[in-house]
Amino acid sequence: MINAGRIWDTWGVTALLLLLLLCTPVIAPGFLDIENLQSVLRESAYVGIVAVGMTFAIASGAFDLSVGGQLALTSVVTLMAFNGGGTAAAVAAAITTGLLCGLVNAGLITQLRVPPFVATLGSLFVFRGIAYLLTQDGPKTLPYEQIEAPFAKIGSLDVAGLPVPFLIMVAVFGAGWVLLRRTAIGRRTLAYGSSPSAARFCGISDTTIRVFVFGLVGLTVGIAALTYITRVWTADGSAQDGFELKVIAAVVLGGTALKGGKGTLIGTFSAVFLVSVLNEVLVSRGVESAYQRIVLGCVLIVALTVDGLRTRFAAPGSFRRASRPTS
Amino acid sequence: MALLEVDGLTVEFPGIRALDAVCFDIRPGEVHALVGENGAGKSTLLKVLGGVHRPSSGEVRLAGAAYRPRRPADALAAGIAVIYQEFNLYPDLTVAENVFSGREPCSPVSRGIRYAEINRRTSELFAVLGVGIDPAATVGELTVSEQQLVEICKALSVDGRIIVMDEPTAALSADEVGQLLDVVRRLREEGRSVVYVSHRLDEVFALADRVTVLRDGRHVRTCDIAETDPDRLVRDMVGRDVESVFHRDEVRGGDVVLELTGVSAGRRLRDLSLVVRAGEVVGVGGIAGAGQPELSQLIFGALAADAGTMTLNGAPFSPRNPGDAMARGIGFLHEDRKAAGNLPDLSIRHNLTISVLHRVRGAITRLLAPARETEVFDDYRRRLDVKATGPDQLIGQLSGGNQQKVLLGRALAPGGRLLLLNEPTRGVDIGAKAEIHRLINQLTADGAAVLMVSSDLPELLGVSDRVYVMAGGEIVAHLTGDDRTEENVVACATTGRRVFSEELSTR
Ligand SMILES: Nc1ncnc2c1ncn2[C@@H]1O[C@H](COP(=O)(O)OP(=O)(O)OP(=O)(O)O)[C@@H](O)[C@H]1O
Ligand SMILES: [Mg+2]
Repeated sequence: MINAGRIWDTWGVTALLLLLLLCTPVIAPGFLDIENLQSVLRESAYVGIVAVGMTFAIASGAFDLSVGGQLALTSVVTLMAFNGGGTAAAVAAAITTGLLCGLVNAGLITQLRVPPFVATLGSLFVFRGIAYLLTQDGPKTLPYEQIEAPFAKIGSLDVAGLPVPFLIMVAVFGAGWVLLRRTAIGRRTLAYGSSPSAARFCGISDTTIRVFVFGLVGLTVGIAALTYITRVWTADGSAQDGFELKVIAAVVLGGTALKGGKGTLIGTFSAVFLVSVLNEVLVSRGVESAYQRIVLGCVLIVALTVDGLRTRFAAPGSFRRASRPTS
Repeated sequence: MALLEVDGLTVEFPGIRALDAVCFDIRPGEVHALVGENGAGKSTLLKVLGGVHRPSSGEVRLAGAAYRPRRPADALAAGIAVIYQEFNLYPDLTVAENVFSGREPCSPVSRGIRYAEINRRTSELFAVLGVGIDPAATVGELTVSEQQLVEICKALSVDGRIIVMDEPTAALSADEVGQLLDVVRRLREEGRSVVYVSHRLDEVFALADRVTVLRDGRHVRTCDIAETDPDRLVRDMVGRDVESVFHRDEVRGGDVVLELTGVSAGRRLRDLSLVVRAGEVVGVGGIAGAGQPELSQLIFGALAADAGTMTLNGAPFSPRNPGDAMARGIGFLHEDRKAAGNLPDLSIRHNLTISVLHRVRGAITRLLAPARETEVFDDYRRRLDVKATGPDQLIGQLSGGNQQKVLLGRALAPGGRLLLLNEPTRGVDIGAKAEIHRLINQLTADGAAVLMVSSDLPELLGVSDRVYVMAGGEIVAHLTGDDRTEENVVACATTGRRVFSEELSTR
């Protein structure tokens, strides 16, 4: 059975992205230069990697608003670890710090029973605050003499013309897809997001889901931090301000339902690039950054409105969701 | 002259024609029963009348004029009140707020809702129904049957010309059903028309003036109730003869599977002791709200016990959560399909396999294998005769009875040795009901133990070997053998009279 609605849910954004790419030769000459494309791929990586974790969170019916704080803190700690102990220490520090941040969130939610929205809003400030504390005497940086170290090159290296951060991101998406579609915990996450009360009677424990989801977000932040600091070489408490909103915007634009129960990593992947390509096009046309923001905001609103209209005015015979009880 | 005429009505969903050129009419002051198998299109027809679905073609005329509701409010304005099969209630609002939602009488000065008035009017309506629900109670805390009564009350508050009821009694207990039938008769005396959908033919014959049969979305027959009889009706519905008399095989009581001694949980369950043996079906009856679902939830680990002991297969058993209980081989079916059964965003295949994810993994990769999931799903789809367009359909798009079958499949799929089934055949048609009873029979013959909560008395007495009756959170009766009669169950459930068969026989 062909179901146009469901196909659109997964592939709609991808179609938009392709359309935009087809238009670029006309609206933004020079966009398709190899150099430029590489830079788009590279710059999209850290938003993309964290968007994988966020897709799980939103599919489970929760937000993680703290990813910006997590990224700043993890980046600072990772730089400190690199300066102290080299590459291995840096990688270990990035992963553990990210995971720890995620587990702190999960703990707040499952043990103290704070709703995820509030818990992560609070921890956003706490994580950023700690990052500020650690960088009181100036931002942490990769020292200039390390410029040739393999670690420092993760962010700028290309393999077969493809930037390493992009390859990492693709790997994370691949792993995420398998996790979401082909493992029990992924299926349970969707079930939980769809109806927590029904999921409970299927033997799904909410603690398990929360720990998994928020731990996963933390893990993706850890990986993203590695690609981020090796790109910009410096971090402090203010690093990537507003990061959480970029990530959430990409996930939502991709077609993952805010109310939980549905998640599409293919959509998220395309949405990440839709945003960055659009941005790039605007930049190349010399549009001011203030207008760039406005355009992006409008795209988000229009995309979600179209989605809403589709469910409301679908073909005859379709069930209009009773958003209000029928009385 | 017909009050409402439906002419050549067709409703199409992707992949299925739910109604195919259906013709049908309602006269003033009649009770018109609408019957058919699960998925026949009854609810779809009612949703067209209620302005939820728009037909692909065909026409509806109300008192001679074209009637094309575009939204539920249009139906109400035209004097058509619909009680839907699935509840539409705001769980966080009070009963009275739900009953009058969207139509609250307001104070002319402050524009505030006149709470005293809606509470009073709600109480009056409940008095008509003969139930004592507090209008100021929060709906989310009510039992399923109370929520059904709130839905009924909501429709009655509209003062409509035509009242449409979609399986209103599926969630009611015997005495509440009796009250509702009286209310329907009263509505008819007042000159209103009632469209009544039910799988319980005794109700249909007790109430209806005329009956219309649908099969696979097509109109089969409309006739006066006097011109037909139950067998004939079933034949019209199913298209063949159905063996509806249930024969329960003789059981030899096996080993004790589950034993509760003096178990209590807060004020809801008090001092419960019971035994379930392998190969047995043990029924639990009582009026709604007496604690039957809570009893099964306690055994399933969804409700904490604060006193007493439980053993499972002879070993101490104190599940902390449903996952524990499932790991020990307990299957569970919740009585509230919408709130605690359906996973609305998942396909029916995934809805079913969610309880057996460990069994649908590939041999080497240990990842979920879609082919295996489909295998498991197809197996149950065949055994329970689920009507759906394909394994990827969303569960909300199935007819009510078919949703129930998917959820039953989910409960049975792990192959548990102890099954806790709450209202296993709620909303299921006659043929499928017999099929499910046969399935239960077969499972127990293979040595499974079943604890079945049912508000359907014939089912409770016909399928179970022994019956416990609950009242006010306590077990007030244990009926075996010839003591299992409707009179005994009703008497014990309503008066709390204590009858224990084993004491009777030793006396
Ligand atoms: N929103 C929907 N999308 C797709 N198919 C639907 C939708 N709603 C109903 N159907 C299909 O239409 C058919 C008729 O369903 P309907 O709910 O009217 O059955 P019913 O006669 O009320 O059955 P039951 O006795 O089980 O409640 C079913 O096959 C069902 O799967
Ligand atoms: Mg129905």
